[in-house]
Amino acid sequence: MTTVLAICVAVLVTVSVYLMLSRELKSVAMGVFALGHGANLSIIAMSGSPVLADGGLRNPPILGVADLVDPLPQALILTAIVINFAVMGFLLTLLIVTARRTGTINVDELATEDRPDGGRAGGDR
Amino acid sequence: MRMSSLILQTAVRFILPLTFLYAAYAALKGHNGPGGGFIAGLIASVGFCTYRMSYGDRAFHRLLPVHPRWLVFVGLGLAGAVASLPLLFGQPLLRSASTTLHLGGSEVHLVSSMAFDLGLLLVVVGVAVGMISRLGEELDR
Amino acid sequence: MTNDLLGLLVVIPLATSLATVALVRRPVPQRILGLVSLCSMLVLALSWLVRIRDGEVMVSQMGAWPAPFGITLVFDSLSGLLLCAGLLVTIACYVHGFSMVEPSTERRYFHPLMQLLIVGVNQSFLTGDLFNLFVAFEIMLMASYGLLAIGRTRRQMTQAYKYLLLNLVASTVFVITAGLVYGMTGTLNIADLARFVADRSNAGVPLPTGFTGLSVMLLVVFGLKGAFFPLWFWLPDTYHTCPISIAALFSGLLTKVGVYAVLRTFPLVFAAGDARDVVLPILAVSAGATMLLGVLGAVSQHNVRRILAVHVISQVGYMVFGISMMTTVGLAGALYYMIQHMVVKSSLFLCCGVMERHAGSDDLDEIGGLLKRHRWLGVAFFVAALSLVGVPPLSGFFGKLVIIRAGWTANWWLSAIGLVTGWLTLLSMLKIWTQGFWSPESGPRMNRGGDASGRVRCLRAAHTGIGILVVAAVLIGLAAEPIYDIAFHAAEQLTDPTTYIRAVDPLAAGSVLTASGGGG
Repeated sequence: MTTVLAICVAVLVTVSVYLMLSRELKSVAMGVFALGHGANLSIIAMSGSPVLADGGLRNPPILGVADLVDPLPQALILTAIVINFAVMGFLLTLLIVTARRTGTINVDELATEDRPDGGRAGGDR
Repeated sequence: MRMSSLILQTAVRFILPLTFLYAAYAALKGHNGPGGGFIAGLIASVGFCTYRMSYGDRAFHRLLPVHPRWLVFVGLGLAGAVASLPLLFGQPLLRSASTTLHLGGSEVHLVSSMAFDLGLLLVVVGVAVGMISRLGEELDR
Repeated sequence: MTNDLLGLLVVIPLATSLATVALVRRPVPQRILGLVSLCSMLVLALSWLVRIRDGEVMVSQMGAWPAPFGITLVFDSLSGLLLCAGLLVTIACYVHGFSMVEPSTERRYFHPLMQLLIVGVNQSFLTGDLFNLFVAFEIMLMASYGLLAIGRTRRQMTQAYKYLLLNLVASTVFVITAGLVYGMTGTLNIADLARFVADRSNAGVPLPTGFTGLSVMLLVVFGLKGAFFPLWFWLPDTYHTCPISIAALFSGLLTKVGVYAVLRTFPLVFAAGDARDVVLPILAVSAGATMLLGVLGAVSQHNVRRILAVHVISQVGYMVFGISMMTTVGLAGALYYMIQHMVVKSSLFLCCGVMERHAGSDDLDEIGGLLKRHRWLGVAFFVAALSLVGVPPLSGFFGKLVIIRAGWTANWWLSAIGLVTGWLTLLSMLKIWTQGFWSPESGPRMNRGGDASGRVRCLRAAHTGIGILVVAAVLIGLAAEPIYDIAFHAAEQLTDPTTYIRAVDPLAAGSVLTASGGGG
């Protein structure tokens, strides 16, 4: 099971790196989200299988009590998901505002459009 | 972002109450079992969003007459108040109190963190619905 | 000792943030509320700092869950000093913002975001849990993303992406590392981790394989937030675009939170055992490069705001230098330096804001003769700049003295770089001073500000902010000894974790205490 998870993490991270290297900010954003999912999966993989080889349940390392699946990795992941969710909302909104303001979400075009007005003379709305 | 097909509209009429019911179930079960305010909030916002998709913006405003930002506001206020209330009694932050009510023959275990969860639910619904309808408005243009 | 009121430092700004959201259309009540919240937190933090001046540790177990299970809030000398300095800087920048932040920006949730930033910063200083540190970072970063893009100019938005994406990747690495730490050690509480590491080294058992890898991953995360050598490229552009009061606050607080995270976790946990031999050279090299390249970058700039922004990097180098020694004196020096740097650097940024307003530009070619017209601004800038350089009666001197002297025996070449950096700092500050203040009044844009009565009146808040910080900078220099004493207590608790572990987790501390004989 852990092997499968590890492969999934590897695929997710590969995809996300590929996406993040793109020139389009939309793809970059998707890459960041995929990376977040990879991180969450890797926590699951790290916490290990709750079932031991002999069929018994593995104790949570922090407790030392039997008959309990370790709840902590899930709590960590839930927190991470919540944060990812918030960041995703912010990033998508920023993308839309950028697209509306500049008409492009391509990194190269944003950089070139940035140059002519020089300093901070962007104008506040 | 409106898909006004008759089939979807009819289906959503059944889906909406069911999602809310399921959200309530998840929220109430959350203290001792899998579930909780966050998940319940997400489930409820799925209901809201499908409704918005099938019936459009105006009908959605009738369903949820307040701006989602106020849901976030009330939710955060509730959760924060419940979390910091123990400070008044010399207890650390987030300490929860519990009591058992005897209603007729059955016992109900009440915990103060339930109110915290409710606040969380409101925050999640507010954020998710607000975000999706904001992004949806952008697509409608 | 237990002090359950520690939670107030998180609750107060959160409540204020909500209250200011409700008042979002009315700036004046928001300002009053925000100031009351910040000042009350500063008073609380100062009173607690006085109570623990003998090196005690205040602890609050959230939800009354005992240490390794719940989240612990810890207020020790390290957190206390940084909280006080951070809140002081925030108050000054906030007041400065009253006259510097555009009204349209202020209505875009400036005040709530500010309070939310403080929630994150306070929580990261207070928390005793690695994962909670991540959460605190995220709260702080969410607020800072908002503040960065607040003016919604095109430039701000393009720069915000750089900051946002880099920090997102760093946060993801942090989550992965936290998961790996839990998988390897079975705990995320920093005190419990310190106990784990100390137990292993006392018993002669090697740390789990790959522990060094975790240290390096965390170093990358914190290094990016703190702008250490190879990871500092995002900083100058980011600080260049946002409103100046916000840039001042970021320069004083955000990078320091990264340095604080290194200071908190590395001596206690992640630079122990085998990891020590890997982490310390990395830190040392990074410190040297950060100091030297940062200051060279600053000398080559021609724009007040950019010079100051690049300087933040070079100053971070001194702190990393102090940390890289991992000795009590080195850590104490780094902490003292950090505190004075937060105050001094922010005050320079605040001065820069007023200069921009008066001269209409921050390009050194276009401004000049400011000393003749605005004498007190010149004095304030001069004091802060000399303090940054490290001229004896001022605060920067003592910080550099401690770090460089401690480093002379450990890494003499780093001390040498530190001295050279000091000279180059002087050079770049002189550049601003001579061209901005001393040079004859000239330039096409000279008569832009200062004449309209409305403008002069509204700058009063900005001057108050600068005044607060400059006075604080002088006081930190004059009161160097008591502050250094507290910093020394903090460093002792970092090099010998027994006090910290005993305070956070009395039950688990037994094993370490017996093994190391009660500690020094």
